Amino acid sequence: MLALGFTLIFGVLRRANLAYGPAIMFGAYAATWTSMNFQAGLLILAVVTIAAAVLAGAYVERLCFAPHRKGPAAAAMVASFALWMQFEELATLALPNHLYAFPALYEGGPLELGRFTVRIDALLILLATVVVCGLLWWILYRTRFGVAVRAVIDDPKAAGLAGIGVPRVFMLVFALASAIGGLAGFLIAGSQEQVTPMLGMWSTLKGMVAMMLGGLGSLPGAVAGGLALGLIEAHAGWFLGPQLRDFLVYLLLFVLLALRPPWMNTRSVS
Amino acid sequence: MDEYALGVLTNIGLFSFVALSAYLLLIAGELSFGQQAFFGVGAYAGGIATAMLGLTLPVAVVIAMLCGALAAALVGLPTLRLRGLYFAMTTLAAAEMFRILFELAHWQLDVEGEQVGPDGSQGFRGIRWMLESGVEPEGFVAIVWLLLALVLACFFVIERSKLGATIRALGEDPTLAGTVGIDVNRFKLGVVAASGALAALGGALFAHHNTYIEPRNFDIMLGVHSLAYALIGGLGTAFGPLLGVMLDIGVLESSRFLQGYRMIVFGGLVALLLVWRPRGILDERVVHWLRARFS
Repeated sequence: MLALGFTLIFGVLRRANLAYGPAIMFGAYAATWTSMNFQAGLLILAVVTIAAAVLAGAYVERLCFAPHRKGPAAAAMVASFALWMQFEELATLALPNHLYAFPALYEGGPLELGRFTVRIDALLILLATVVVCGLLWWILYRTRFGVAVRAVIDDPKAAGLAGIGVPRVFMLVFALASAIGGLAGFLIAGSQEQVTPMLGMWSTLKGMVAMMLGGLGSLPGAVAGGLALGLIEAHAGWFLGPQLRDFLVYLLLFVLLALRPPWMNTRSVS
Repeated sequence: MDEYALGVLTNIGLFSFVALSAYLLLIAGELSFGQQAFFGVGAYAGGIATAMLGLTLPVAVVIAMLCGALAAALVGLPTLRLRGLYFAMTTLAAAEMFRILFELAHWQLDVEGEQVGPDGSQGFRGIRWMLESGVEPEGFVAIVWLLLALVLACFFVIERSKLGATIRALGEDPTLAGTVGIDVNRFKLGVVAASGALAALGGALFAHHNTYIEPRNFDIMLGVHSLAYALIGGLGTAFGPLLGVMLDIGVLESSRFLQGYRMIVFGGLVALLLVWRPRGILDERVVHWLRARFS
């Protein structure tokens, strides 16, 4: 899901949004704050996370991407990094400890399926991913807005000439991606039952790597990349330990980028 | 000068080296998220040279720069064809690999009854060449700024020469540069290696200033900061990165009334500044104007 949101923004804007993860972290922190100060159920927390992430995403879009639409990509990237620092500091100012408990997605033991045990929260995350993918597919391929988004991805200039409000599409895509990110952030925080300021960097890195693995700017690729990254990490972590696991993931990314296998050149959503 | 001012001054000098290395790549048209790796390579190489092998600082700095250039060339060679975001991503991946290697590095020697050397994530303690050879903090600041002045002088000579024009041509349009007979790959590799050496020079000095380094010093935050320094300060002149570092470390970190809110202020300033000047304060246009004015 992280990769999906990241890819959506990259596909439409051709810009990497470094503040994507921190915006998610901002959402998770807002939810944590809410759960500490009010008696709030999980559903409300999910709504708070998503709303805060969308709000943070809109702020990022206005300040980093709207003014740099035609300019160099570097400026937008650095500006989004600057806002990353803002989010991180805001989060640590609001909740100064390093680690906060987050209400669990599901209380109770794992599900027994014959020889296997499955964690319920993992199942929930999988289910949510499937639902999000379905929804996203529906939005992109079955609505007028989706047609507009795909037109902008293909050629923003032509789309603008055809009467599509390109800035509006950018803004809405940003909001959509942030909402997906917010949901992902909620699920991550809920399954780990804690939030730390590291969540921001973690989300950006994982989202970026998964996007790269799946091919830049391809949505099905992003899902495949996310799954592949998860599988590789789980196996490498089991056999090699955490440090070598991370090393392997970066090595894979490096080699993939340097060699650029053909599937990585798919630059469209279809 | 009190100790605090000396520390700030030293830090400005030290981080200017990484910012300049990011600047060098930026004017050649490449965006690197990985300069912290070569800063780290320089720090480790320099530390090993003085604390473990008993060499002097000047020798250590040369070794560190060679190591940095080598490491950068190693990363640059397979990625020469890549542009823009792809190149940025490979540098990030490479830099994270280097950081993990620092975490895995265990190599200690017995120096005067003490275990000295990199000890994984525990870091590398006891790089005390400054103390042992009686260099005062004032002396160290002088060394740092002298070297920085030297580097800046090199930048000015190069930017006025044909070589500088070639590098900027690469940044403007690599395809066009290729068609007018510039060996794009060779020049790019050279620029990458030089930027690695420059970052390593800063790293070696950093290690001797802190006497202690750990892998966490060289994470992506440092890399993106150096990039931001170069972009804030401006891509028109080598003074740009210096200005960026001064704005962050000199003004914001030292102004205590902003305590706790520094990153919020700095982040907002950077974002707004880039809306107004996407190529930094001292961009090419301002530099031309200044030059026309004062010559």
